[in-house]
Amino acid sequence: MTQLQQKRQYAFVIRQLTARELKRRYTRSYLGVIWSVLNPLLSMVVLSLIFSQLFRRSIENYPIYYLTGYILWQTFTGATTSAMTALVDNKTLLIKVKFPMELFVLTKAYTALVNLAYSLVAYVIMLLFFRIAPAWSMLVAPVIVLGLFLFALGLSYILAVAYVFFGDVKHLYTVALTLWMYCSAIFYPADQLQGLIRIVIQLNPIYTFIHCLRQAVMQGQFPAGSQLLQMFLWGVGMYLVGHLVFRKSKNRMMQKL
Amino acid sequence: MENWERCKQKKIETAESLETAIEVEHVTMAFRRAKDEATSIKELLVRTVRRQHRYETFQALDDVSFRVGKGEVAGIIGTNGSGKSTVLKIISGALIPTSGRVKVDRSKVQLLTLGTGFDPELTGRENVYLNGALIGYTKQYIDEKYDQIVRFAELEGFMEERVRNYSSGMVSRLGFAIATVRDTPEILILDEVLSVGDLFFRKKSEARIREMIHGGSTVLLVSHSTSVIRSNCSMAVWIEKGRLRAVGDPKEVCDAYENM
Repeated sequence: MTQLQQKRQYAFVIRQLTARELKRRYTRSYLGVIWSVLNPLLSMVVLSLIFSQLFRRSIENYPIYYLTGYILWQTFTGATTSAMTALVDNKTLLIKVKFPMELFVLTKAYTALVNLAYSLVAYVIMLLFFRIAPAWSMLVAPVIVLGLFLFALGLSYILAVAYVFFGDVKHLYTVALTLWMYCSAIFYPADQLQGLIRIVIQLNPIYTFIHCLRQAVMQGQFPAGSQLLQMFLWGVGMYLVGHLVFRKSKNRMMQKL
Repeated sequence: MENWERCKQKKIETAESLETAIEVEHVTMAFRRAKDEATSIKELLVRTVRRQHRYETFQALDDVSFRVGKGEVAGIIGTNGSGKSTVLKIISGALIPTSGRVKVDRSKVQLLTLGTGFDPELTGRENVYLNGALIGYTKQYIDEKYDQIVRFAELEGFMEERVRNYSSGMVSRLGFAIATVRDTPEILILDEVLSVGDLFFRKKSEARIREMIHGGSTVLLVSHSTSVIRSNCSMAVWIEKGRLRAVGDPKEVCDAYENM
């Protein structure tokens, strides 16, 4: 088999596994995949009811502010938490199939990306509803999503490896995610904070992704060069580290599984 | 003249059959297992602090060597947990041995597995595509062979139904049909799949397996059953507790195994 054919076969496998993932998720519900659109909307409504009064001064258009953060955050957590258990869950498969184990992790990240595409439907509806004027800067969104995807994928590799050796990682990561979420300024304005926590938030890569998308969509501003560089370094850096860790531990993982 | 040609042809064939397809050379596989292994970070920390790491090595395979010639049908026999599956995993490349090596063209090796990745929540049709993708079929190939698979599995009219609602016989028929629709690969590995389904289907599946085994490719077959190995194989390998006990004529090896 030539390289190209092999790549194409891998892509086919990923599409099939992703389709399974999505079908399985909504297998017993009537609305099915529509939930992927409804979920962010409902969450937005709830949060807006509670917080839009509170932050009226500091955030104009709270629902969009929240929704922008929410969909990116969901993509990130969706990818990493499901990818973490991907290898252990597919243990029996792994031994039998001939393609690289990376595909299972990649599938989970890709599934989260497909889910994001559905959420974007909700997002666009809301943009129209709140009469957000289309701006050229919105075109930067795919770049931001790509950066986030690479970052999530890199971390997924590391988590997947860790989970093979220690089941605890799952619980630890849940706690870490809660903390991480509060440090990502998803539902409150970041510039009201001072001191250490402010620095933490600004160093937080997830916040950078969210912040840039908000700027691009709500203010029509392109990300600054330094922000672009930051996103690029986080995304590519995390991906390379994750991939390296994964490759190095492959054989040990096979023995363990 | 024609005769001479045929003669030459035959000679080439015999020369080819002596070629080596799989060569296992002094393969040792040791798993290092921590004694009552730490499964949580807390435990690991506690043990690291107390320096309580005790390992035991478990020899799944110990200096195993054999070779399988091109076109031979080799049966691997041995009691449960003796390392048969480990040999297969090393040959197919899923595991890398601790020492020793295996000479085989991995691109030609195909492991025949039934129902890999079947999902009960998906329909029969969706499972054909999912399973097909996992065992290496391209989309066009499945499109092409789809009807043939359904016909062989005798599942016409059930394909849009969820596999959850299938009987276990139906599931294994579908799995078998997908796995065996392909042209036989040059090196085929079978891990206990010789008979599935009800009596009628069993005849059909056994016939298909025979066809694959005796279609000229090199076959590696794992079984508990000496009768399967006696009737199908041209050589047998007996592995017991990770050690190679005997290689050679299937009758002799099986006799030795039974009289153990």
